[in-house]
Amino acid sequence: MDEFTSGLAEIFEVDDSEISPDFDLESHNWDSLAIVSVIALVDSCFGKLLNGKALAACRTVSDIQALTNQAEAA
Amino acid sequence: MTFQPLKSPTASGSPGYALPAVRMRGVVSVTPERRLTNADFVERFGEDVVRDVTKMVGVETRYWVPPGQTTSDLCLIAGERLLKQLDWAPDSVDALIFVSQTPDQRLPATACVLHSRLGLAPHCQAFDVGLGCSGYVYGLWLASTLITAGCARVLLMAGETSSLLIDPDERGTALLFGDAGTATALERDDAAPATTFVLGTDGGGAGNLIVPAGGFREPVQDPRRTGPFNPEHLFMDGGEVFAFTLRAVPRLVAETLAHAGCAVDEVDAFVLHQANRFMLTHLFKKIGAKPEQAPINIDRFGNTSSATLPLLLTTDLAERLTTAPAKIALVGFGVGYSWGAALMQTEPLACAETLYL
Repeated sequence: MDEFTSGLAEIFEVDDSEISPDFDLESHNWDSLAIVSVIALVDSCFGKLLNGKALAACRTVSDIQALTNQAEAA
Repeated sequence: MTFQPLKSPTASGSPGYALPAVRMRGVVSVTPERRLTNADFVERFGEDVVRDVTKMVGVETRYWVPPGQTTSDLCLIAGERLLKQLDWAPDSVDALIFVSQTPDQRLPATACVLHSRLGLAPHCQAFDVGLGCSGYVYGLWLASTLITAGCARVLLMAGETSSLLIDPDERGTALLFGDAGTATALERDDAAPATTFVLGTDGGGAGNLIVPAGGFREPVQDPRRTGPFNPEHLFMDGGEVFAFTLRAVPRLVAETLAHAGCAVDEVDAFVLHQANRFMLTHLFKKIGAKPEQAPINIDRFGNTSSATLPLLLTTDLAERLTTAPAKIALVGFGVGYSWGAALMQTEPLACAETLYL
């Protein structure tokens, strides 16, 4: 499993295998602590900085991936 | 003698400033008497929330003022102790700078009140600076410019009683902040090498860390406000502030070291604003600092805003700074957004103490 997926699993306190593009953030405690953790994870894995407000608006893991793809390099 | 800004290392980079002949002599920090552990928050938030927040922000204990005690009360105790330890006569101080966002009253400046309480001389200038997380570095910058302009001795006081601004029901901030007051002595010394400063601002982030009411835009809560948020309390958008920090701080540190011609491994300690342990760990990794260059004391004091840097100097770094010369990078960043870094060479300090009331 890649570092990004296992990082997300750790943040949401689920098993790696549960992380999929459709993984629902709202039902997994998508709060400010989780948002900050994802910002750090994306920075570590991809060297990119996500916008906090745009990240908070994400609903699924695929939303986070789309946001990461268009984010500026750190 | 005139001083030119240092040339920017890149076209888009920040200018740096090198101010010679300024020496840090001593630092005293004071914490108030109410010591709160995380167990004190379990009744309000529940064990799970306290555990989750603690895992992120890393605060185990913090000190809060009792009713009636102010930032200047703490700074006064620090200042009196510092003058005594350095054997500085009160009338030898040429300037007093008070850095805080929790002054005693709207006017006059708290620095004027402290001037009287410390018994300083009529010729001593005294003024307030309304900055938080970046405030100590701005205070060092102002003290250094005053010394460059001719002052011989400057007292820099920095502190905060953020416990009086937080919403006690808001878990993101209630567990994070602590109170403290500090005093730092700076003196002209022609043998001191230059301190390198880089400073900056992005006011576009003002709304992400703010107490909206109590100034003159909104003196009391605007009745048109809706929702549960009380504007007299601190609002913090943690995600936005964290993203700002990742953008600004590694660049700030890199620019400061470049201006000074100094490598990361030549710095004895990166004294970073103690914002949040998770953030600090991540920043230290990005900076490339080794654990021994990366002091963290937020577990014991919480985020004390403008007091975090001097509080590190008087705790984790106290023995180091009082026994041998050191090259330290002081880095403040946050509310404003405002940021600043100072790369300073110290000689053994005469005093680096923490007083627990």
